[in-house]
Amino acid sequence: MSAIDEFEAAREDLEALLIEVLGTVAGEEAMPVWDDVLPPGPVVSSKLAIHDEDDDSYTMVSIRTSSIVARVLASRMLLTPDPGPDDLLDAVGELGNIAGGNVKSLLRHSCRLSLPTAEVTENDGTGHADGGVTVRASVLGQVVELTVDIAADVSGLYWPGSAPAPDPLESRP
Amino acid sequence: MKILVVDDSRAMRMIVTRTLRQAGFSGHDITEAENGKQALETAGRQRFDLVLSDWNMPEMTGIELIRGLRAKGIRTPFCFVTSEGSEEMREQAEAAGAVGLIAKPFTPEAFIDVLSSVVTS
Repeated sequence: MSAIDEFEAAREDLEALLIEVLGTVAGEEAMPVWDDVLPPGPVVSSKLAIHDEDDDSYTMVSIRTSSIVARVLASRMLLTPDPGPDDLLDAVGELGNIAGGNVKSLLRHSCRLSLPTAEVTENDGTGHADGGVTVRASVLGQVVELTVDIAADVSGLYWPGSAPAPDPLESRP
Repeated sequence: MKILVVDDSRAMRMIVTRTLRQAGFSGHDITEAENGKQALETAGRQRFDLVLSDWNMPEMTGIELIRGLRAKGIRTPFCFVTSEGSEEMREQAEAAGAVGLIAKPFTPEAFIDVLSSVVTS
């Protein structure tokens, strides 16, 4: 079974994982969605990699959502009515970290998890450009995407322990 | 009680502190650290009654932190609060002397289950 087939076989588990993580972190009920996509506009995303040292392969786990959801998440996580750009990246980065840790527990037990990085990009509305398996959930009326994919390029990611603290601001909203 | 909360995410440090209160463990003196290295330095300067630490952090991981504390003779009860809750990591945590591992996302009930024996309400 290829890695992508494995991710596809775990699709329902990935959907359940995303729903649970969003529900707990956002404090709002999240529902799976299949046809909805992120609208055009600013998107806050985070990514991290899972390294399998046995075959030196990498699995990339990424989260993408609108800046609206990111702002609400940051506001609730940090208890501030007006979260700043760093706060949005911290909130979505931590959401990605939680999702990545749970994906690792689900699919890649004895592997190493990178630290999450987060950034703000502009979504052109054409959907997720990468391959892999993407599951989506709706929370606060907005879409959140979780994508699990084979990672060809892990440059720019930081690994736990003896690594410098990553710059939390790759770009600003 | 003096509690040291260690996580590289400020949002998560706030959530951990808030969840402690929601679990009924309120009124404690909370100190924060951004990674294991900073926590090790802080714990070397002042005494804590509990350390709640993430596992994956820059500079020094949570497992390196507990080993560093024990190597310095600091026996403060230590609990991991981490996004990875695999059996392998729980075994590593226990072997290093941690009182438990709380997996993210967590609820106040998870804090009560793991911390009731070491935290007073």
